[in-house]
Amino acid sequence: MTLEAVQAGATPTGRGGVALAWRRFRRNPTAIGSALVLLLVVLACFPGAPLWVDVACHHGPAFQNINGYVTQNGHRVPVVANDGTPIGPGWRACYLLGADANGRDLMVRLLYGGRVSLEVGFASALVCVGLGLLIGMVSGYLGGFTDSILSRLMDLIWAFPVYLLAVALATSLALGGLAIGPLRVSSTSLAIPILVIAVVYVPYVARPIRGQVISLRRMEFVEAAVAQGAGPVRVMISELTPNVASMTLVMLTLIVANNILTEAALSFLGVGVPILTPSWGNIIQQGYNLIVTAPALTIAPGIAIMLTVVSLNVLGDALRDALDPHSKVRVKV
Amino acid sequence: MRLSATAVLLAAGLMLAAGCGSSSSSAGSSSPAGSPVNGGTLLAGIPSNPDHLDPGISYAVEGWEILEATDNGLLTFKKASGGAQATILPDIATAMPSVTDGGRTYTFHVRTGVRFSPPVNRAVQPSDFKYAIERLFRVGSPGVGFYTDIVGANAYAAHKAAAISGIVADDATHTITFHLVNPDGAFLDDIAIPFAFAVPVGTPAKDISTDPRWRVGTGPYMVKSYVPNQELILVRNPNFHQWTAASPNGHLNEIDIKIGITPEQAVNETIDGQLDWYFEAVPADRWTQLRAKYPNQTYLFPRNNVTYFSMNERKYPFTKLAVRQAVNYAVSRTALLKIFGGQGTASETVLPPGFGSAYQPYNLYPYDPAKARQLIRQAGAEGAKVQIWTTNADPAPQASQYLAGVLSSIGLNVTGVKVLDDGVYWDTLLAESSDPQIAFNHFDQDYPEGEDFINTLLNGQNIVKVGNNDVSNTNDPVLNQMIDQTMRMPLGAARNAMWAKIDRLFMQRDAGWVPFLHLSEPKFVSPNLHGLVFTGSYFELLPEMWLSKH
Amino acid sequence: MFQFLIRRLLGLVLVLFAISVMVFVIFNVIPGGDPALRLAGRHPTQQNIIQIRKQWGFDKPLYQQYADMMDKLFIERNLISYQNQVQVIPTIEAGIPRTLSLALGAGAIWLFFGVVIGVLSGVYQGRWLDRVLTVLALTGVSIPIFWLGAVLLYLLTFQYHSLPIFSWIPPGGYSPIGHPLAWAEHLFLPWIVLAVVSIGFYARVVRSSLLDVRSMDYVRTARAKGLSSWRVLTRHTLRTALIPVVTLFGLDLGAAIGGTVILIEPIFGLEGVGQYAQASVANLDLPPLMALTLYGAFFVVIFNALVDVAYAWLDPRTRV
Repeated sequence: MTLEAVQAGATPTGRGGVALAWRRFRRNPTAIGSALVLLLVVLACFPGAPLWVDVACHHGPAFQNINGYVTQNGHRVPVVANDGTPIGPGWRACYLLGADANGRDLMVRLLYGGRVSLEVGFASALVCVGLGLLIGMVSGYLGGFTDSILSRLMDLIWAFPVYLLAVALATSLALGGLAIGPLRVSSTSLAIPILVIAVVYVPYVARPIRGQVISLRRMEFVEAAVAQGAGPVRVMISELTPNVASMTLVMLTLIVANNILTEAALSFLGVGVPILTPSWGNIIQQGYNLIVTAPALTIAPGIAIMLTVVSLNVLGDALRDALDPHSKVRVKV
Repeated sequence: MRLSATAVLLAAGLMLAAGCGSSSSSAGSSSPAGSPVNGGTLLAGIPSNPDHLDPGISYAVEGWEILEATDNGLLTFKKASGGAQATILPDIATAMPSVTDGGRTYTFHVRTGVRFSPPVNRAVQPSDFKYAIERLFRVGSPGVGFYTDIVGANAYAAHKAAAISGIVADDATHTITFHLVNPDGAFLDDIAIPFAFAVPVGTPAKDISTDPRWRVGTGPYMVKSYVPNQELILVRNPNFHQWTAASPNGHLNEIDIKIGITPEQAVNETIDGQLDWYFEAVPADRWTQLRAKYPNQTYLFPRNNVTYFSMNERKYPFTKLAVRQAVNYAVSRTALLKIFGGQGTASETVLPPGFGSAYQPYNLYPYDPAKARQLIRQAGAEGAKVQIWTTNADPAPQASQYLAGVLSSIGLNVTGVKVLDDGVYWDTLLAESSDPQIAFNHFDQDYPEGEDFINTLLNGQNIVKVGNNDVSNTNDPVLNQMIDQTMRMPLGAARNAMWAKIDRLFMQRDAGWVPFLHLSEPKFVSPNLHGLVFTGSYFELLPEMWLSKH
Repeated sequence: MFQFLIRRLLGLVLVLFAISVMVFVIFNVIPGGDPALRLAGRHPTQQNIIQIRKQWGFDKPLYQQYADMMDKLFIERNLISYQNQVQVIPTIEAGIPRTLSLALGAGAIWLFFGVVIGVLSGVYQGRWLDRVLTVLALTGVSIPIFWLGAVLLYLLTFQYHSLPIFSWIPPGGYSPIGHPLAWAEHLFLPWIVLAVVSIGFYARVVRSSLLDVRSMDYVRTARAKGLSSWRVLTRHTLRTALIPVVTLFGLDLGAAIGGTVILIEPIFGLEGVGQYAQASVANLDLPPLMALTLYGAFFVVIFNALVDVAYAWLDPRTRV
């Protein structure tokens, strides 16, 4: 999947359009629907996870119950059979969606795993968009030598096949952790997948922002500000940022969606979230080998990912329509 | 030895379900359906290239399995399954060697008329055996360690001598004599494994797996063509004629091995009738159904293997015996057996059941988590940080996560489970810089004798900085001495009894490991395939196989 | 135009050089990635390690090792993998046709369906069909590609194994020229998977592109002149609307051939470049990884350049 923004001749939205945007958004039923779905997912994972543990079955995501039993239809059934097959989904409080090979409750892991996937997706998107905004702005406005260097750097990351770069970085960091000066990150920290995913997609944000800034800097209001004595930093903060705000917001939403998928892919390849911490991606990775006897382990987290990412994509799409119906910002996931 | 990595991402690898221990049916059976029929082509599959087809370099079961069919040595293991495979018989040697000088000198007479396959074609000479062993030192073979106790070997390795003085090969009288520095009862085993197989003098000191000019052997089969990542074809060796009952001719005419078939594909193709046999185990998720639906085509072979967690005695908290014992008390071996699909024997011993009288099971650490917690508290190790290492080949990650849960529950602070790809895990484990605290481990026999396990893995005198196989850094002088003494004894019941004793003492005094399982290998084959004789070193013997329909 | 091409070509070489250095550095600073240890195998003595270091040149300074590797890759063309000492270049060459089969086949499918759905969506804009197709399109894009492959493979080869068309047989190197039907049959499932996750995007792009074009003056003129809607659609709007799609397709194809296949090939056992890449990274095997990264980057950059050329040709204003 390529993440790519194509933007042609967009006109910057005028100020005061927030109210207009909200009205357009409100009138779009799929947008409202997706926002609700997203809200539901977040609620289920954040306050919902410990709630489920308290109310339904009192064991957390790390509780391994290989030698345990559950009661089903009056029989005592082992959570994990002698041949290693875990119990499947059923109408019971404990192991509603069944168990995994270590006897852990899939439903509980799904909820806690959702937290991690959402955190990683969101955090990496923030870092990515933040960096991309910074680089794109500086590159586009200052031009010249700075622009050359930054653009070449962006080209470099862009040209490196995304998954190869991500996997290479993640593998090397996972083996030894990160040590830059006083900054030390352990190899089993979540910061590693967050950083890797963020860095890999920076060009997808920086390039279109740069393009937008280049066309903006020739505009009259920018010239006016410069004439009034505003330095480059001032111009970037007060004049340019508000005008790329809507594009950035849309990109943020779509990149969160993209990063959740990337986290899943990296975890599936074994170089994402470290295995003791559940995430939707590594639940799939660990469940995949049991797909014939315990398909729920693979199917459930995949559906969770799909729901979340669809709603984010639809939301991003709707945001773009609402904020700037004439823009052609496309961020492909 | 280690099994070569199944480099396929989703290889569900080693484990899988079913059965109650290794007493399941068809353990190491042969020809159930009548007597062998000659002829036919075996359609085989393997997930990735066999590690090497060079007897001097190959050190994984896939390579050895092929070499067993294409090459021979002075001696061979009996081609039978179960305890019988430990019997050593003469192969290219005319008889068992005469052992003199207090067990330090072995003299063999070499048979005449055994010829190498095309294009070398000539008869095997004693100098070929000497050349084979010297070559090990020149190619950086992983097997050199078995032959360093030959007089002059170390000097040769250090380039201080032109040849190994302790090997005297006389082509005129057809004899070859080995002089050892110290007596070593298992030397006969060292001569029977592929590292000592005959290699024509002049074979270059580099990997000849893809060089047909030198990739020759004396066995019933020869490599007709080998295209890495695609296929490997074995055909009958025209220069072979059976010279001893210990090395029979093969039944099959040809063996076509397709490279790159994943375990799941293999199962599907076998069901569809396009594949007769696959090198690797049946994936976990298919075993139960296959067992139920095709009982005559599924086999559960006992590998001579020990699967365990090794604890590094040089790293806190595993420096304390109490902590190591606590882990042994806290682990439920039945739970681990479930994770491994019930395929194998749960046990606390180092040596596997296939080792005959050297295997004397004991129960020093019955499951007792409360006692484990107490031991940890007494040792003052509560809250100690631990990181677990594991390979990514299933079900090792699951087993390691189970261990993580156990360690947390007895009061240790598990910081994480470090998962490395199978292709790099085993080498990384042995690297000096790695030094894990506790790691998933397994060991399969090189040859069926206690020395192979115990001397390699538990003798503190063998600890080296690089490539250290004593991963727990066990270095108990009492044990070391017992091991050295036992090595000098001749093979037999007395020697086996000593190994069993050392095994138990190790877990009692040192407890550097958490041994939990001796694995079995689940296989699924076509209904036409018979004659599956399974040994620990070579797995199914290719020359014994036959097809009832071809 | 010529100057432009030369500039891009130079840029390509520079980028490839920089990427090769990046890969080299990443894999030489990894702890535990010591290839000498891997090559030495079990029971290695210090002697063995030193011997291997000398034999393979690991004791030379890094820049020398880099130069040697580049030499082996491009000039001598005999680069060998550390993991199994197999020649890298022939393996990649064997894998390229399989990867191309996968990417091009899937590309044709997703382009076709993307356009069809996008046009339908655009023509019926705002109506029920549009909304449904939008959600469907975005759903497709939201599915994790490896998950879809894994689940479909499970359903079709295990649960519904009896269906003849989905009875799974390995690709087996059927070529499209000799046995086109067999070739297509084996790739059918991976094609579907790769296409499904891409169709949505193209549908959206076609849709919005179509909407933009429709509101343009010349289209209104055509309608005012009395041309039927269908005529207007095919003769006037579609052609213009498809321009951004075609250029995007180029970029995506480049990225797909270059790297996305890493997720699909291992699941289906396709033994193409993607599977080789995944295995090489897992094994920390630098030689094939270097070759594969350069190969992938090459495709990405070339397709990027082609797209830019197309853009520049079509719209002289956007020569950035």
